[in-house]
Amino acid sequence: MSTAPQDRRTFLTRTMGALGATFLLPDAADLLPVLQGPSIKVGLVGAGRQGRAIITELQKIPQVEISALCDVSASRLQTAVGRVSGAQGFADHTSLLAARADVRAIVVATPTHRHRSIVEDALAAGRHVYCESPMASTLDDCRALEKAAASASTVCQAGFQGRSNPTYKRAQPLVRTELRDLVSLYAQSHRKTSWRFPATADVSEREANWRLDPDVSTGLAGEHGAQQMDVAHWLRGEYPVRAAGRGAIRLHKDGRAVADTIEVDLAFKDGVTLRYEATLASSYGGTYEIVRGVNGTIRLAWTHGWLFKEVDAPTQGWEVYATRQQVVDDEGIVLIANATQLAAQGQLQAGAGLPHPSLYYALVDFIRSATEGAPVACSMTEGARASIVGILANQAIVSGQPVDIPAFTG
Amino acid sequence: MGTRFEIALPARDGRVDDSVLRAAGEAAIDEIEEWHRRLSRFAPDSLLSHINRTAAAAPVRLDREVFDLCAEALAVWRDSDGAFDVTMAPALALRGLADSAVPTRGAGGVAAFIRLDDEHRTIAFGRDDVSIDFGGIAKGHALDRAADLLRAAGVHCALLHGGTSSVLAIGCPPGQPGWRVALGQETDRSVITLADSALSMSDPASQREFTGADHIVDPRGGSAAARVVVHGPSARLADAWTTALAVLGHVPPGFPAGYDATFLRSVH
Repeated sequence: MSTAPQDRRTFLTRTMGALGATFLLPDAADLLPVLQGPSIKVGLVGAGRQGRAIITELQKIPQVEISALCDVSASRLQTAVGRVSGAQGFADHTSLLAARADVRAIVVATPTHRHRSIVEDALAAGRHVYCESPMASTLDDCRALEKAAASASTVCQAGFQGRSNPTYKRAQPLVRTELRDLVSLYAQSHRKTSWRFPATADVSEREANWRLDPDVSTGLAGEHGAQQMDVAHWLRGEYPVRAAGRGAIRLHKDGRAVADTIEVDLAFKDGVTLRYEATLASSYGGTYEIVRGVNGTIRLAWTHGWLFKEVDAPTQGWEVYATRQQVVDDEGIVLIANATQLAAQGQLQAGAGLPHPSLYYALVDFIRSATEGAPVACSMTEGARASIVGILANQAIVSGQPVDIPAFTG
Repeated sequence: MGTRFEIALPARDGRVDDSVLRAAGEAAIDEIEEWHRRLSRFAPDSLLSHINRTAAAAPVRLDREVFDLCAEALAVWRDSDGAFDVTMAPALALRGLADSAVPTRGAGGVAAFIRLDDEHRTIAFGRDDVSIDFGGIAKGHALDRAADLLRAAGVHCALLHGGTSSVLAIGCPPGQPGWRVALGQETDRSVITLADSALSMSDPASQREFTGADHIVDPRGGSAAARVVVHGPSARLADAWTTALAVLGHVPPGFPAGYDATFLRSVH
């Protein structure tokens, strides 16, 4: 987008009295990726709500043929098989692995505490594996998965999507170049829902509501938080060292033991803190992450991202031509690169968000690694560490006591 | 879908526990939101935006539900002699009633250039100026899918609506023969008793009053005028046919069996 000099003067004048914000626009090749590798047959284990979203995104990738589906629920499996043309259904993952040697990649979208055996078996059978986040519900399982992936000759990608999201990739270098010294980090997931799911004829109440079972659930911090906390790990290149938090049941007083509202502070070794808040009692504000620096702030909301510059921060050349949007009281620089070019090609409306959900980009990265040998976007080591942070954050909330997070090495 | 959906679930009917009822209701709302995300022409990351961006260049694979939705939309287009047309989005955009994640091209009314391949379950556009908008059928489709989930969860009694113009009833309220649904806002309005069925109402004059323009556009030229109610088993089909009948002003031979249509007198 070209900007006349007088537009720039107008912008500079306006930003003297308010925080200026820039929309984060990624590279065009990242927005609409084209894979070059051969086709690959993929199997999906876990055909619930997330499994359905995965099917939608995998079907957009021309190289992918969804050949096998697996679920312990016969009704869910039947529905999923009906959705995908030509897919074979299996009641368990071992049958799938034994019967379909031609299925080279497995996507795991089962309840968290079921991940370990499926991932281990798939890797042992020589398949590429994508595992939804978090990796596991216990520290032992996280470490076991890390070990299994390290000894495997195939690709194993953890489903922490921020590392594949074009807007987040656009933001990563700006944390260092534009924000300068970090002030604090904040993330939230606000949604008004019971987190309870109806049981069916072949899915028991306990199975359907494993998130509310304290024996296997990692709570809001693990199930929702780990994904967002990993954004901070990735942007900073390090993990927090200590977690302290609290939780309560503010709305859903239906006998549950898992908190519906939590706050947790994750401290990094330099003293910078990530505050994470999640609730099932209010939807206000939704889901996003904020990185505050002395020269500006980045706000990331999965399909959108903005950079807000402080008025005393130096202006970079590229900012002059950037798209700007009003975000509540501040004007932001939209973080997407080459969006104007895409709009001119009729592929994207100027100023809009990503043309695909974050999940799509994570799956594209996985298929690219499996078929083209590209580096893995999020390794199982990174995934296990992010999951461990989520598990320990949940422990701090449940116990009401601060918990030290072990230093990760290697 | 640019409107408000509501679900009424009578509690304490003795057959379903309240917390289970809430979970079922949330699952139904989640399903409606999921279809909004998939079928929105306004969100660049929706499945529909992906189709509109790429189907002219190469066939796009669809899951069974989306493929069936496309097939049904095209069937209504054929059976209504083109009065219901999912490619009318460009015409709506010209009237300032539609925006898009994908820049609108063409003049609308090009449904004949949509190609569905049942064997490979794909959709393709035969021209690069085709854009789909499911606005005339998406609400009903979302209601049908949400009702399926409620029934699977053991719900025997519920009323769902999208924007008050598309309504679906499961069972009857306790002690009643059905859900009483008023048609319009006049004091002498008609009331329909709905049980295990759906209805959709189209009132072009009412839409004009609120927005100053017609939401329903006759793909063959001109504007829709008829005020019509369609009643039948599927909210999706009722939705599509109210649009078609509002344009046609009469019931054509291709109108589906098991459905009935009522033209109401205009009050505007």
